[in-house]
Amino acid sequence: MLGVLVEKELKSILQSPKFVATFAVSTLLILLSIFIGIQEYETAVAKYETATELVDQHFTEVTSFYQVENKVYRKPSVMQIFVSGVNNDVGSLSRISADRDVKLEQSAYSSDPLFAVFRFIDFTFIVQVVLSLFAILFTYDAINGERESGTLKLALSNAVPRGKYLFAKFIGSWLGLVIPLSIPVLIGLLLVVLFRVPITGTEWMKLGALFGVSLLYFTFFISLGLFVSSMTRRSSVSFLILLVFWINLVLIIPRGASMAAGQLVDVPSVADIEAQKDRYRTDQRQSLNKERSLRWRERFSGMQNLSRAERRAFYNQNRKEWEGEDNDYRTEMDVRVAEYNRQTNEALRNAKLSQERLAFTLSRFSPAAAYQLSAMNLGGTNTSIKTRYEDQMFAFRDNFNAYLSKSQREERAEIRRKAESKGGGRMMMFM
Amino acid sequence: MIEEGHTPADAQVQTEPEAKAESKTEPMLVADNLTKRYEDGTLALNAVSFEVHPGCIYVMLGGNGAGKTTAINIFLNFIEPTEGETRVDGIVTHKEPLKAKAKLAYVSENVMLYPNFTAIQNLDFFAKLGGKKDYSRDDYRDVLLRVGLEEVAHSRRLRGYSKGMRQKCGIAIAILKDAPAILLDEPTSGLDPKSGREFTGLLDDLRSEGKAILMSTHDIFRAKDIADIVGIMDQGNLVMQKSRRELEGENLEQLYISYMAGYMEDAT
Repeated sequence: MLGVLVEKELKSILQSPKFVATFAVSTLLILLSIFIGIQEYETAVAKYETATELVDQHFTEVTSFYQVENKVYRKPSVMQIFVSGVNNDVGSLSRISADRDVKLEQSAYSSDPLFAVFRFIDFTFIVQVVLSLFAILFTYDAINGERESGTLKLALSNAVPRGKYLFAKFIGSWLGLVIPLSIPVLIGLLLVVLFRVPITGTEWMKLGALFGVSLLYFTFFISLGLFVSSMTRRSSVSFLILLVFWINLVLIIPRGASMAAGQLVDVPSVADIEAQKDRYRTDQRQSLNKERSLRWRERFSGMQNLSRAERRAFYNQNRKEWEGEDNDYRTEMDVRVAEYNRQTNEALRNAKLSQERLAFTLSRFSPAAAYQLSAMNLGGTNTSIKTRYEDQMFAFRDNFNAYLSKSQREERAEIRRKAESKGGGRMMMFM
Repeated sequence: MIEEGHTPADAQVQTEPEAKAESKTEPMLVADNLTKRYEDGTLALNAVSFEVHPGCIYVMLGGNGAGKTTAINIFLNFIEPTEGETRVDGIVTHKEPLKAKAKLAYVSENVMLYPNFTAIQNLDFFAKLGGKKDYSRDDYRDVLLRVGLEEVAHSRRLRGYSKGMRQKCGIAIAILKDAPAILLDEPTSGLDPKSGREFTGLLDDLRSEGKAILMSTHDIFRAKDIADIVGIMDQGNLVMQKSRRELEGENLEQLYISYMAGYMEDAT
């Protein structure tokens, strides 16, 4: 019995104009999105490789550690082909230096604002917006449409349990959407293989999970459509109700949740944070300069009654110690500034995380938002992409800076040693 | 027999023994003290009782709103009775609807089928739904020819079918189900005179096969032509019930009008 009903549903759907439209639109969109995704991924990989080669080349060409400038680039991920997430909004590189914070800059959208206007339509967007709409179009008149046309009465005049009839409708509609989704997805994956995109086993598994989550997502809309269709008498009414549901679940709730979280959790702006850090750094520098002037005045106070030659001898005798002291003070200040910056950044990040967590919790009332968040988590293109890379870059910067300052010290000592061995040496610094 | 001026309840009490006397078999379709009052208070059926035996055609005559379709809908368990019950082969329809429906075939006033399917595809689906899975394409073609649908139309989608053509498909579906009882809700509506005559012949064949047939109609002449028992309904009441033998030599049209007028007077 169930087989007969499902077979009829499938036949009915496959012969309907809405299936043809769904299939055509889904195929076009999915294939186009995967093709463009592959092109963009390959461009990003080419850019990444060129940029890292330039950094390597710079390292081989510089003759002094004082000339070293380092940049770290974010490596493109294969998953961005299917789930772009915030990939194009987050910067692709960060400068690594002692006096600058790690900060991802130059996002794809900041480099090419045109793409920000007409954002990249990825697989997730197609499922989230287009296929959920199709799920509603498939089901809004599934039950009441048959009641209106009279076929429901004839069908139920047979010994057909209503639950079974409804279940067959569900399976038919579900398969009617899975087919237009699966075929272009399979062709799209074939494209990925043909273009020799390097996908690992884990990424294949993630793609499988993404497909599963997508099925789960539009299963919700099919169930909702069937429920509303069976609870209303007229298909025009059920369509209107479902459209209102769709607009709320897909468009309003996710954005409303972000806005509500923005109002409920206060996060200082980047400009405020930068100004705060800059103020602290300036204060620290001013304080260091003042202390340094006082120290030098104190050091020279002991030389006031000495002759020029004695003063030079006295200076040469204490120079190393004094420079060491100054360097220690400067290093202490750098550490204090770095620590302050770290704490400020962390406070900002925590505030942002609280806001983000609240926004995500509220938005999860919408299956569209829940789907998007799951897809982004699977694709590794969620909002943590920024913090994840920045954390790694911070760790790298600490190691790199330690190595660089050590190397710079050694280089300075080497230069001084050479200068001294050449002829008594010239004062590198003298007041 | 109901006489003019008698109440409907009196009418049933007097006619039932005579109706049963028409056949010695157990009744296939039974309406027992059937009452239906809708939520808005409308009394659609008022203690209606009748029986239809195998090999018998019972015709319910009545105007719009008489309660004919309500009675059929209760047999199909589309609505539940407020009081009383309907039985199919002894099965109470609102208690065991699926068992009862397995013994029922149904043709509505306006047969609606799947417009994207051909006549054969529609027949195939409804036959399988009715539990008949062994029919071949030839069986479908034969039954469609039997109901008067030309072969050229068999493989055409129903989107372009006239109402009469759809009715013929509906009757074909009912024949294919091969159920012991058939419910026909104004089935000749939309059929041209020739098709109407062919339909009468079909009903005759089905009666010969031993089917119990309950048909509602406005068509007094067809009722007289085919019915074994005629029941006249008005405003939810069964106001007259007579067998073919009792109707011999009587003018059914005049009876219909006079019973309706008599009942209207009683009601007022």
